[in-house]
Amino acid sequence: MSDPANAVMNFPRRDARDKLLGRTRYTIDHVRPGVLHAALLRSEVPSARILRIDTSIARKMPGVRAIATAEHAPGLHGIGIADHPLFAQDVIRYDGEPIAAVAADTLEQARAAAAAIVVELEEIPAVISMAESLAPGAPQIHPDWKKYEVLVEGAARGGNVAWEATVARGDTDAAFARPDVQIIDSTYRVGRQNHVSFEPRAVVASFEDGRYHIQTSTQVPWTVRNMTARILQVPASHVRVTVPAVGGGFGLKFDCSLEPYAAVLAQMSGRSVSLVNSRQEEMLTCLCRENAEIRIRSAVTKDGEIVGREATVLMDCGAYGGEQIFLTTMTAHTLGGNYKLGSVRLSSRAVYTNTAPNGAFRACNGVYNTFALERHTEEICAALGMDSLEFRRRNVLGDKDLGATGQVFEGNVLGPMLERMAALREKSPSRKTEAGDRLYGRATTVGTWFIFIGPSSATVNLNADGSATLVTSGVEIGSGTMMQSLPQIVANSLGLRPQDVIVKTADTDASGLDLGVGGGRTTVSIGAASSAACEEVRKKLLSVASEMLQTKPEKLVLTGGRIEIAGIKGSGTTIAKVVERAQQVMGPVSGSGAFTAPGVPSMPGCAAGHFIDAIDIPVFAVHECEVAVDPDTGHVEVLSYKVVQDVGRALNPRAVLSQIQGGVVQGMGYALHEEVSIDAHGRIEQSGFETYRLPLALDVVPVEIDLYEGAPSIGPLGTKGAGEVPILNVGAAIACAVSNATGKRVQELPLTPPRVLALLLDRNEPLDFPHISPTWHDNIIHTGIHASL
Amino acid sequence: MPITLIVNGEERATQAAPMTPLLDVLREEFFLTGAKAVCREGFCGACTVHADGIARMSCLMPVGLAQGCAITTVEAIAADGVLSPLQQALEDHDVVQCGMCFPGMVMSLTKFLEQNAHPSRDEMKTALAGNICRCTGYERIIDAVLALTNAPQAAE
Amino acid sequence: MAHADNLYIAASVADAVAVLADRAGTATPLAGATWVMRAPLRREPLAHSYVAISQIEALQRIDISEDEAVIGSCVTHARLAEALAGRGDLAALATAAAKSANPAVRQAATVGGNLCTADFAAADLVPALLCLDAAVELEGPGGLQRLPLQEFLSLRHALPVGSLLCRIVVPRSAARSAHARLPLRKAGDYPVAIASLSIEQDDKGIVTRAAVAVGSVEPVARRWPSLETALVGRPLNTAWIGVQAERLAEEFTGRDGIEAPGWYRVKVLPTLVRRAVEALSAQTA
Repeated sequence: MSDPANAVMNFPRRDARDKLLGRTRYTIDHVRPGVLHAALLRSEVPSARILRIDTSIARKMPGVRAIATAEHAPGLHGIGIADHPLFAQDVIRYDGEPIAAVAADTLEQARAAAAAIVVELEEIPAVISMAESLAPGAPQIHPDWKKYEVLVEGAARGGNVAWEATVARGDTDAAFARPDVQIIDSTYRVGRQNHVSFEPRAVVASFEDGRYHIQTSTQVPWTVRNMTARILQVPASHVRVTVPAVGGGFGLKFDCSLEPYAAVLAQMSGRSVSLVNSRQEEMLTCLCRENAEIRIRSAVTKDGEIVGREATVLMDCGAYGGEQIFLTTMTAHTLGGNYKLGSVRLSSRAVYTNTAPNGAFRACNGVYNTFALERHTEEICAALGMDSLEFRRRNVLGDKDLGATGQVFEGNVLGPMLERMAALREKSPSRKTEAGDRLYGRATTVGTWFIFIGPSSATVNLNADGSATLVTSGVEIGSGTMMQSLPQIVANSLGLRPQDVIVKTADTDASGLDLGVGGGRTTVSIGAASSAACEEVRKKLLSVASEMLQTKPEKLVLTGGRIEIAGIKGSGTTIAKVVERAQQVMGPVSGSGAFTAPGVPSMPGCAAGHFIDAIDIPVFAVHECEVAVDPDTGHVEVLSYKVVQDVGRALNPRAVLSQIQGGVVQGMGYALHEEVSIDAHGRIEQSGFETYRLPLALDVVPVEIDLYEGAPSIGPLGTKGAGEVPILNVGAAIACAVSNATGKRVQELPLTPPRVLALLLDRNEPLDFPHISPTWHDNIIHTGIHASL
Repeated sequence: MPITLIVNGEERATQAAPMTPLLDVLREEFFLTGAKAVCREGFCGACTVHADGIARMSCLMPVGLAQGCAITTVEAIAADGVLSPLQQALEDHDVVQCGMCFPGMVMSLTKFLEQNAHPSRDEMKTALAGNICRCTGYERIIDAVLALTNAPQAAE
Repeated sequence: MAHADNLYIAASVADAVAVLADRAGTATPLAGATWVMRAPLRREPLAHSYVAISQIEALQRIDISEDEAVIGSCVTHARLAEALAGRGDLAALATAAAKSANPAVRQAATVGGNLCTADFAAADLVPALLCLDAAVELEGPGGLQRLPLQEFLSLRHALPVGSLLCRIVVPRSAARSAHARLPLRKAGDYPVAIASLSIEQDDKGIVTRAAVAVGSVEPVARRWPSLETALVGRPLNTAWIGVQAERLAEEFTGRDGIEAPGWYRVKVLPTLVRRAVEALSAQTA
């Protein structure tokens, strides 16, 4: 094997130049003459029965080429349960829900025709909040929930609870009844976060030779292929998905969204059809990080041992289950992570409301579960009178400790990372003086996340000019994985320079199944598949070279574009020559590789309704920040920010640092600025950048970073994904620091100036959740399908 | 009556309605897709162009008001395909991620550096109040530009 | 989105006034266009036609004499900030022009546009000009008309057809002025509250004349007469003024907005007044 250390370098990304020149063509830039423009007619009410849809006037309008409604796409799709029609069928379940799609010669024509479609509605009562949704006698958003096809078995469901994942390990009742414990009970609430990928969701579809070709801005070409086929009720092989440069994803594009609309219109019109969400549509129907409501109770001894923990996490999935169904799983590994727990019960529920569906966003519910867990931890420490760093040192998960679902963690990682944070703190002086007259606070938080691994495939073709072509279904969404770590892995394996590795962008006709780019999985999963493909290539090369050089294969090494006899530089020949020879004697040199999750065991019976019972590659993070809070206006300024991140091995350290800076800043947006509010009619109020405030250059600080390498990982060359996790504990760190600065109980994010001032003035209503009982058992569906209690 | 404007040194005419955003004419008629329509309300800066030497948001500029204007887009910043020193610095420091904001960043910063060749970190951040980046967290962009402006006069 | 197919580019004020009168009620003046171009996002229809006035040279002039500053309505924020730099009595206006929105928008948005956009509660220039006792000059079918700014603000919804805001006249004085604004981020968004202040003091430091204007708190900016009265006849003491502002702030009814509730805008007002006073003191120093 080649030395992993040789793969480490600050290899620059090759797509930067065209991006700087304005030449890169994203999907939105592929809307060229001759391509039809599509527009969606969206509902403007949150809940209604559709009495009549009449497209006859719209059909006759100028430029109109096709109009599609529910009858053209009858299939239901979803994750876990198929509850989601492409178009509202008989019922409208959220403001913004598509009712019809129009393709016309121009966008104005398409919009005009969409507006001319007659829709007769009868409004029915809407449930906007989760409290309303779970109230006794609440209207059912999916009265037919029992009839839906269940795609993944094993979860409790019922009424407005789309999905429930439960964890039960040990006897929490006994733990809470112990005489030597204090019980700390906390409630938290967070709003939604919009990804604001700069390129909106966008697609150009065509229908040729009986197959759909979908060019789309996505992170998941295979999901788009399979979902589109399901919705259009055609074989999946009839859909080809290719992906141009993607202008940001962050999880928004981790689901099929606009593609089937464009596909059905392309099929109907026989033309290429583009569909691009306007920014307003992106604001109103973004598959946001969901709003959530959380209750955590812990039984803790005076020495700080957590003998029991119970938590209920309500995740608003909006009108359809979507990713939230899957993400209920992650409560076990985030809110149930970080600390050693004597016993634990968790209920993680996706709750239907008449609001826009939510989705996956960088570190997903880990971000707010970590906020809740770390604030709760501070409340425990305050109750015990214990230093919170000391508490964390004693309680963080270490080697052979059990996770919530009973998985056994390998290696001491969080403990040493806390020490590294202490060292980082020593190195850089406190910024306290910069707070001036403002309130100063500091906090250190820990977080647990994971690498979402699963099926990936790769093919490597070695070319006669000594270059290699890597064919995978990966897409470059901006993080640089396809431009940096993958070519570095292949080059290291084959003794090439990374610039000689061509990485083909995703084309489902050319490459095999892949779960997509997200969850920090690309370097690990596609990287592992690529490594496996390279092994086959190596073997072929060495066998040919062995003959050419009259040396046994095991005495040959691949390095610097050459195959040398080990220890004798210049003794061999170039890889190009070997490839040329191989082409004559055995045909072109290629290899293929595959990878999937090995599956770490959990403790039997501990987890129910989970998609992942135990995490294959845990990732840990320690964050620390200093803040200044203006007591007069509630403005929070982050004075300094430090990160120690578990990265396994940083293949491209500079790129990892970039991911951390960018991820932390997105987290600052979540913690301080970015607010999504939903009005009484279920409409998201922030319709653009005037009211949805993203962090600007002046609002951020350079993040001080220490990369923690060497923690166990099954990733190729010991890697872990580094791009997703930087956002994980930002909300937590800032909230804890603000709480420390103000002496107030921070229970909500984002900490906008009005919310902080209200906190300082004790103006906030107490966070009482009538719909989350302090008795944990009341917060689950009693069907018998949950973790063994 | 067509509206004529000089785009990247070349006289161009458009039949677009005069209240059409200049951005849409550049992208859809002239296929200059470097400028991006991201927010369409003057907050993100991704559509920034130079109009008669001034950095402007092309989403908020009716093409009718660009009659006779000299418009420079990001496509014309690299003379003969050679990156400008600013573009080179951004490439050298490997700060680009998804890239959607960079055309606007390049246009804003190019103009800013013409007027302030040696800005402080804070001045640069203030100048970027109308350029949003969702990927990078800004600081490394600033580092790259400061490395350029603080460099001893680079060799020609 | 529908584009108005009619944009008339006026060559002179007389030309603009004539065309506006001719297209009675269906044409709207267009200056920097930064507000109008966002009409679709506000779900507002574009006007039937626009009369562009931004290329009229007379409206782009800034004339500053010892007695007054006369500002053409099509002067952009960026040019205004540059022209006023270093003039203490007009510092509130200079700051307002230099800090509003973001650099590229300041290159387009005009003084006149800022004053005529009745639905834009967070306009920076309005309170700044109010505290400076500015007047506006309108041209129209009835000839030239001069109105105090406050009066214009209440009339601007229903100006006679063909009226065109041409100039803003700001009297010069021995006062010093300051503008304190509170965006929710450090910059780049509209302020949730604004306090603009113009103060004259005698040689003992006693305030002889005070003008305070408040913007963004209510739907329309206005002066704060009770606080002005309280300030006169005393030295300029930040803490004392802050206390007075806290006492009198309840005279305002904050507007609820997506970005901030009404109570917040009122609550931070005394802080902004204090900051404006501090900015004045910094000017002296």
